[in-house]
Amino acid sequence: MWMKIRRKQPFFQIFLWLYALVSVYPLIWMLFYSFKDNNEIFVTNPFGFPKKLRFENYVSAMTEFNVPKYFLNSVFVSVVTVIGTIAIALLFAYAVARMRFRGKTLAQMYIVIGMFVPVQVIMIPLAILVRDFNLTNTYWSLILPYIAFNVSFSTMVFYGFFRSVPFDLEEAACIDGANIYQTFYRIMLPLVTPAIATMVIFVFLAAWNEFPIALMLISDEDLKTLPLGLLFFQGQFTTDWGAMGAAMTIASLPTVLVYILFSEQVEKAMTVGSAVKG
Amino acid sequence: MNKFLGNKIAITLFIAPALLLFTVLVFWPIVQVFYRSMFEWDGLTEGTFIFLDNYKRMFEDSLFYTSLYNGLIFAVILAVLQISIGTVLALTVSDGLIKGRKILRISYFIPVVLSITVVCQLWLAMYNGEYGLINKIFEALGLSYRQDWLTDSKTAIFAIALVNAWQYMGYHFALLLAAARSIPEQYMEAAKIDGAERWKAHWKVTIPLMAETYKFCLVLAITGGLNAFANMYIMTGGGPGTSTYTLTYMMYRSAFRVGEFGYGSASAAFLVIECLIVTFAINRLIARDRIVY
Repeated sequence: MWMKIRRKQPFFQIFLWLYALVSVYPLIWMLFYSFKDNNEIFVTNPFGFPKKLRFENYVSAMTEFNVPKYFLNSVFVSVVTVIGTIAIALLFAYAVARMRFRGKTLAQMYIVIGMFVPVQVIMIPLAILVRDFNLTNTYWSLILPYIAFNVSFSTMVFYGFFRSVPFDLEEAACIDGANIYQTFYRIMLPLVTPAIATMVIFVFLAAWNEFPIALMLISDEDLKTLPLGLLFFQGQFTTDWGAMGAAMTIASLPTVLVYILFSEQVEKAMTVGSAVKG
Repeated sequence: MNKFLGNKIAITLFIAPALLLFTVLVFWPIVQVFYRSMFEWDGLTEGTFIFLDNYKRMFEDSLFYTSLYNGLIFAVILAVLQISIGTVLALTVSDGLIKGRKILRISYFIPVVLSITVVCQLWLAMYNGEYGLINKIFEALGLSYRQDWLTDSKTAIFAIALVNAWQYMGYHFALLLAAARSIPEQYMEAAKIDGAERWKAHWKVTIPLMAETYKFCLVLAITGGLNAFANMYIMTGGGPGTSTYTLTYMMYRSAFRVGEFGYGSASAAFLVIECLIVTFAINRLIARDRIVY
């Protein structure tokens, strides 16, 4: 039976590996050319492994251009966004999922609106708002909107988790004399750590890679994040593909490493949406 | 207990940060988009209320129709490629007879975690008319077919959409794989016992059972296509000419390049409505009843 299926499927097997090549070879090509000089990229060895590893491409990406600065900006913005989003969403989700007050369904539905609105469409009012609050060209002009955009989805995911915890827990805590803050922090948070891990990955990837908002709100060279900073390599580097490849490789390393180390969790984090939105 | 879980101060402390941030930075801007779309406004002054004149102007603007058309093309390319290829990949991998499954999954998914800037610039290099990988491959295969993919106004939008389809293929693959995995084994077994061939069985059994996920993929691909912006901003700047404009790009240009914030808001408002209609329609048309195994 198995053999029969296997023999029937060679086309699909080949297709799988062929598509894997299509999916990953461009990245390998980029990694290779980040070690090559133009002559090797264009003429002598466009496809294969570099004949000589030219680390000087990485040196020039790091020293002549602002790559380290962009990198640190991205780290700072992403980390603060992750902490802020997770904290705010956990508090909100806990209150809505477990506490008793009028209008909690309404509050939940209101926050969920955020999942159905594409970020780019509110770009114009957002730019005006940031200007009126005098936040133009500050880290906060990125961090606050990033938190606001991610909070809807994170709330939904945490809500689901909080609902699945038995309600006796709070009763026991209450009888034992704990207050609500202790209950939240000591008892509920440890129970939802898997969800927190998932959302940390999700929000980190979203913040690290975010482009349109950064484009519209940041023009100060010192505050640019990687997706924005790298944009201008195209012009400067047209004569030096190797250094550009090196800069792009550096920019991709954190997310690719996170993915390779935690591939299952990352896939879970990225696809958790289908269960919530569907 | 009621006092414990009904602690008003705690509730306020817990929900206020999220409500405040969301209201100021998401909800209020959405309201503003619709409100400001009825103004002639430069973003600095108060502006003049012109009611629906921006919309009238937009419906007579040929750029609007180019943008609308490109958004649809983009959406269709994403939906068709990602869902068809994603299905074949996901179902074949889930059949469980493939060696190196881990490597395959990682290969498909890696582009998803990359920054869109990196992906677009990488593909700019690949499409490059002289030195690009694609033309080099044609050369290596001995074909004298050489093309500047992004400077032909007829092919540019397809070339850009392909990049986006490539980047997020792994995402759709992962979604569909998770859905296929969650189907109880006996359904597939039943199909096999009936003598149905594997793909016929998939077509008749597996795929219909994955309707909820297909719905999600479809919403994702279509709204993603209609909203496309970063790809054209980085790869073509809307060109050649205006041939790769989308509504988001039109909004961006109206507001931040030409200073017509009201007119830009009108195209943003149109986009919001367009996306809501699509989401609603897809939810209505596919799998009205939730499937219970």
